[in-house]
Amino acid sequence: MNPIRHYFQLQFTLLNRHISEFGLVPWLGYLLSILLFSGLSFFLYYRTEYAPYLLVFGAFSAVLNMGERTRNDFLKSIFKSEEYRKIRLFENGIIAIPFIIILLVKGDYWMALATAAGSILMAFVQFGRSSNFTLPTPFRRWPFEFSMGFRKTFYFHLLAYFLTFMAISVGNFNLGVFSLVLVFMVCLTYYSEVEVTYYVWIHAQQPTSFLWLKIKTELLYSSILSLPVAITLCFFNPGYWHIILAFQLLGYAYLSTLILAKYSAFPSSMGLPQSILLALCFTMPPLLLVAAWLFYRQSTRRLQPILP
Amino acid sequence: MINIENLSKSYGGHQVLKGINLSLAAGQVHGIVGENGAGKTTLFKCIAGLEDYEGSIQSAFNPLKNHLGLLPTDPFFFSKITGREYLLLLCNARLLPPTDLDAKNIFDLPLNQYASTYSTGMKKKLALTAILLQNNEVFILDEPFNGVDIHSNMVITEIIQKLRSLGKTVLISSHIFSTLNDTCDRIYLLKEGLFVRQADRDGFGDLEAEMRAFTVGDRVARLGLG
Repeated sequence: MNPIRHYFQLQFTLLNRHISEFGLVPWLGYLLSILLFSGLSFFLYYRTEYAPYLLVFGAFSAVLNMGERTRNDFLKSIFKSEEYRKIRLFENGIIAIPFIIILLVKGDYWMALATAAGSILMAFVQFGRSSNFTLPTPFRRWPFEFSMGFRKTFYFHLLAYFLTFMAISVGNFNLGVFSLVLVFMVCLTYYSEVEVTYYVWIHAQQPTSFLWLKIKTELLYSSILSLPVAITLCFFNPGYWHIILAFQLLGYAYLSTLILAKYSAFPSSMGLPQSILLALCFTMPPLLLVAAWLFYRQSTRRLQPILP
Repeated sequence: MINIENLSKSYGGHQVLKGINLSLAAGQVHGIVGENGAGKTTLFKCIAGLEDYEGSIQSAFNPLKNHLGLLPTDPFFFSKITGREYLLLLCNARLLPPTDLDAKNIFDLPLNQYASTYSTGMKKKLALTAILLQNNEVFILDEPFNGVDIHSNMVITEIIQKLRSLGKTVLISSHIFSTLNDTCDRIYLLKEGLFVRQADRDGFGDLEAEMRAFTVGDRVARLGLG
């Protein structure tokens, strides 16, 4: 069989497995993904003028993951160079196409073109090349999610700070709020992966104090990244301090709830119920209170055997 | 035959390999020893074409990577891939019809389980089986004995000897000198990016004694364990 064809058939099988283990039959998973993605995209267009930028950002973030070094070294070592290039081009194309379709439908042709061009270019770039340089971080005391996440995504924070500067320069408050939201969105990704049980087991704490430690760390470290944006915005837009404060607090709330949601399924990944509840929280923030309480109860139960 | 001339590799300002010269003859097993960070894995990645470098690597195979099986220290597996699917993937990548995987599953691995559930040694054995099924001409085995049980250790030693008799080129690294002693025709000592010593079979004993004297030295005494 053609190696490229076989590779993509295998990837399709693996994806179906992920969906099945998430608790859905594959066809329903694909249908829901399409509906969710389109719904969310159109909701973004409805809510903010920066929706096309967010979609481009989303597309590049997704494509970026495919360029991860270990994965690419593996592909390079097993496929011929030409096949490897084709695979990477196809992969990036498959990931970028949904974003491009939405951008085209909404008439953002230049953005669609930029997404397509960027995705093609990124197929030829490998991220995370070996280097002896260690990016310093301010997260020395509890070096885990934030240290690792920051090193992978520091350019998004630089982008957020640049956007804050632009927002102040052109007097666009909404852009400023977007940069604050961007900081928190990037921080949310730091808690997207479940660590191996060992990293929890090493703590000499009970579940409640362990969760509190995680939340305290998140509050402190997300503040280090977000407060420069929030304080700058408050300084230049003193009349809107309450809006900035609201977004800052919402950022903390979403991060804390995500931590609780993550451990509510530990040591497995989050399943369908957690994901649905989190998605609902994003559309109705007051639900965070209920979700956090539910996730907290489940988390303590799930952690009990590991942290007795 | 693979000829490596004046191979250098730097990461930023840090030079990991400093002008390596090495000839890897077919039908021979070449061992590389060296401390952690000496540059063994970087050298392997350069030969496999996974890193760019200065200098030249020439071989009868063009391109070399299409005839080379690389066993990394920590093999990569896609999430949710089974052992059987991994073997099929690697065979298909070289357009080789996979025949009777169960018979060729010499390490008795649970091929229908996810590779991510395998132990370290099982992952290593799966990755080794896959590159053997690819029928490569050149094998680079980075720490093939790491985490592998003693029985499989013996099987791997036999496999390496079989590869030699088939005229394949084998380059291996190991921190366990005895395993190199059993398998290699020539051993190179890599230190800070340079080969500082090499020995043929009759010189292995001296090389090990030198390494022991140099490496161990007074380190244990410095711990002050009493």
